[in-house]
Amino acid sequence: MNDRDDIEAGTLRVWALRLFVMTRKELLQLKRDVPLLLFLIYSFSLSVYISGAGISMQLNNASLLVHDGDHSASSRELIHRFRPPYFRFDGEVEDQKVGVQRLDQGTAMLLLDIPPRFHESIVGREPVSVQLQVDTTNAPQGLSAAAYAARIVGEFSFDLASFRLGGASGGLMDMPRVESAHRVWYNQNQDETWFQSISHILRMITLFAFLLPAAALVREKEHGTVEQLLVSPVTPFQIMLSKVLAMTLVILAATALAMASVLKPVFGVPIKGSAPLFFLMTALYSFTTAGLGLFAATVARNQAQVGMMALLGISPMLLLSGIATPFEAMPPWVQTLMALSPLRYFVDVTYGILLKGVGFDVLWDSMLAMALLGGTMFGLGMWRFRRQLE
Amino acid sequence: MKEIGAADSSQHSALSSQHFDAIVKVSGFVKRYKKHVAVDGVDLTVRKGEIYGLIGPDGSGKSSLMKAIAGVLTYDGGAVEVFGTKVDSERAAERIKPKLGFLPQGLGLNLYPELSIEENIDFFAHLRLVPAKDLIERKARLLAMTRLERFRDRAMKHLSGGMKQKLGLICTLIHEPELAILDEPTTGVDPVSRREFWLILANLIQEKGMTVLVSTAYMDEAERFHRLSFLSGGKVLASGMPTEVQALVPGSMVTFEATPQLEAIARLKKSFRQVESLGPLLHVFTGTADQSEARLQIEAALGDLVPAAVRVDQPELEDVFVALLLRNNEHKETSGRPPTSAAAHNHDGVAIEAEGLIREFGTFRAVDGVSFQVKQGEIFGLLGANGAGKTTVIKMLNGILLPTAGAGLVAGADMRTAAGTIKQRIGYMSQAFSLYLDLTVEENIRLFAGIYGLDKRSMTKRYQWIVTMAGLSGYESSLTGQLPMGVRQRLALGCALVHSPRVLFLDEPTSGVDPIGRRHFWEILSKLAREEGVAILITTHYMSEAEHCDNLALMYAGRIVAEGSPADMKRQVEKEAGRLFEVVADQPGKALVYLQQAGFHGAALFGTKLHIFCRDPVRDKACACRALEESGLHVTSVSERPLSLEDVFVYRVMSLEQAERVPGQEVAV
Repeated sequence: MNDRDDIEAGTLRVWALRLFVMTRKELLQLKRDVPLLLFLIYSFSLSVYISGAGISMQLNNASLLVHDGDHSASSRELIHRFRPPYFRFDGEVEDQKVGVQRLDQGTAMLLLDIPPRFHESIVGREPVSVQLQVDTTNAPQGLSAAAYAARIVGEFSFDLASFRLGGASGGLMDMPRVESAHRVWYNQNQDETWFQSISHILRMITLFAFLLPAAALVREKEHGTVEQLLVSPVTPFQIMLSKVLAMTLVILAATALAMASVLKPVFGVPIKGSAPLFFLMTALYSFTTAGLGLFAATVARNQAQVGMMALLGISPMLLLSGIATPFEAMPPWVQTLMALSPLRYFVDVTYGILLKGVGFDVLWDSMLAMALLGGTMFGLGMWRFRRQLE
Repeated sequence: MKEIGAADSSQHSALSSQHFDAIVKVSGFVKRYKKHVAVDGVDLTVRKGEIYGLIGPDGSGKSSLMKAIAGVLTYDGGAVEVFGTKVDSERAAERIKPKLGFLPQGLGLNLYPELSIEENIDFFAHLRLVPAKDLIERKARLLAMTRLERFRDRAMKHLSGGMKQKLGLICTLIHEPELAILDEPTTGVDPVSRREFWLILANLIQEKGMTVLVSTAYMDEAERFHRLSFLSGGKVLASGMPTEVQALVPGSMVTFEATPQLEAIARLKKSFRQVESLGPLLHVFTGTADQSEARLQIEAALGDLVPAAVRVDQPELEDVFVALLLRNNEHKETSGRPPTSAAAHNHDGVAIEAEGLIREFGTFRAVDGVSFQVKQGEIFGLLGANGAGKTTVIKMLNGILLPTAGAGLVAGADMRTAAGTIKQRIGYMSQAFSLYLDLTVEENIRLFAGIYGLDKRSMTKRYQWIVTMAGLSGYESSLTGQLPMGVRQRLALGCALVHSPRVLFLDEPTSGVDPIGRRHFWEILSKLAREEGVAILITTHYMSEAEHCDNLALMYAGRIVAEGSPADMKRQVEKEAGRLFEVVADQPGKALVYLQQAGFHGAALFGTKLHIFCRDPVRDKACACRALEESGLHVTSVSERPLSLEDVFVYRVMSLEQAERVPGQEVAV
């Protein structure tokens, strides 16, 4: 009803002027909030660097203990193959029990147990096994440590075998063997900082796109200013849209800051695709997430409640949308549920544009999904906002 | 700034019978918040068994002082002694805490919203280790006294403001402290609940010999205190018994009619600093106590304008406070005369017309058949307790809420079909002033100018008008949050007027503003109405402000139960209940009981004085005196008092409540 009245009362110019003064007001208010601004800048600069440089999913520096019951050339050769940066050799233990104790204490991650007569068995062409005990309390690290160790032992065994065969017939050529020759795409140096720093930016965009407009709206509710706006010719649509517009601008600027100050100069992340397209998509994603935030703000009574809702609403999104864990590895029902998470699509879009260099032709479905979700959330927020007045 | 009370209070009989133990002794008290000095050298002595009042506007230092006395705030200078213990360390504070009760500022802030009335009381009692037997007995008594027993299972968050405050009082007093410290217990509470609150407090003091230190922002509550200090800007401007404070500024109030009013005001302002217009009446403070001399002064100042219906009264405490503030010259804010808009306005015609407005929320009827009319240039006051339906009426008239039934015309637009047009044509200002505190004065004005679609040229013009009208020059680039409340209030008014609306809605616009700020504000409103013909609809809790309105409507349970001009409404009550007399007698607490037994049901205690209604002045006065003297009490004086609008309000609401007191009907909002 309000929009029709607007047209009666003035023109499109007045409508745009209202939106403009409201948006400018939001930006002014943000400018005055120095602690929040500092937090914003930190989140999109130093914090991105810390995450990129600090978070690593790869196996690194895992502490290895050895109980060597053999002390032979072969045992030394095997131990020697557990090399940095993946493993750190932390010495031998005399007693196997002491080793297990160290695992319990958490001061060692792997315990390699080489039986007596290890060398003899190898020389005597008997099969022999070594025992590896792994602490998998940190499951991903433990599992990859176990996998790496298994591969090292396997290669050791293969080398022994080929040495023997080679010793007999003069080469490896006769041996049947399948080798995996993989080519690495998109991140040729397999630089993990790329993935981690971009993931962090996505996390920060999500957080701020949700919180900034939501907090701004709830603050107006708390201070009673929203009442003043409602009796003025500003429509609920303009009130909400101005917040989204202002905060989207801020988030775009912050994202640009992160790219220019950390991503490119420090980690050397390439932007393979179109930068304007990426920023356009970031704006779309901000709008979508802001819709969610504004919806929460119409339910919440104060800023503390908005904070709680952010925790509740955003945490699963951040954890399950594919930046913390591979999306495909999740149970089907989680995957279905996450179809509702706009972040799930934005992850595809971001990596697609930044690292793969793909464009609209490949990503259109993700974009459409984001736009639909955003429109729905924003509409729901509007509906709640209007209903609240009753 | 001298402490008068201590020197010569012995001559007053009411307190002299009691011993003079000082419960609280404060000397040279200083409290700073960073660089800001909140309290600057305050001396104060509270004696056993008295109600000591701290009066002053927001930010005058009342709360800091009370918190320090309660032992919950450190201070930077001077000494605080409570029950003879110096409160200078945490350990000392712990020693006095069992003997005192502290009710912090804010409606129900010390209570737990999810707990029921009874659970809240029990919690505070257990916290204070009240024995189970005492608890049962005290709880029953206090619940009965506050008339809350019917609601003992109701969650605190579902109580009305007045009920919350009564519950807060019970929780503060459940351990029967010797000293109760109550920080603005009546702020934001409607007049009826406020009066009830004071009555309960007076009874408790009578019964238990408790001492009370209480603060208030309502100047008209000052006469309920035995002694008081008037604070402003962290300093004591005056202290002592109400009569002593009154004696500090000798003078009289002259009330009269003079036309044309604007011309009369202009002439009077040359000679007098305190000139107020109350509807058709003018209210002037003259510096002479001699009544005929005061009259002559007024006539001289008016020149050829002849005053009509002249009345000369003793000044009220509020007038005295304003005079004191002006004398201390703390208010240098100058506001220019708002330049009158060039455009000739139509002063006639109906601005607001409500007809049979009904609004239901579910099965609850919040507004029930409300009709009234406000003309251009009229100030119309909508009064009523919290939950009486005032805000709902305003929301409907503003076009935010659709009525269930009925019709309304605001500024020529139908509220059912043209909400957008109404919004464009009205100005609105709410209790919270609804400004953006983190924007500057200029940014706030420009924001609202943009919202109302003003173009650059009219914006510049209007901006100047607002700055002059509201006396904001010099403040343009200050952050709104750092402004004094009075300035903030005028800025909010300016923002509501940015588009030159013909109708202005003000929803409790004067909370927390000091008396001078409030008078200044009303001066602006009068000018808007008189000179520019703006129609103003206002709601307020300050009954002294309602006097400024041309017409009033009193709402109760969604209906208008009385309407007319302030004078009409007083006449109606005088006709029904009689005239108001003030009785000064020994032992006012006992006197109250005797008077009630003698049939004066409306008798009420005001500090050391009693108010009674007399239908037949001669007979009733004699009857009251006889009742008291026969019981052995000495009556010092009985004198007639002009009826205040608060008396009207309380009388109306109380009689309605008595008429329909059916259990379970009380509506809590």
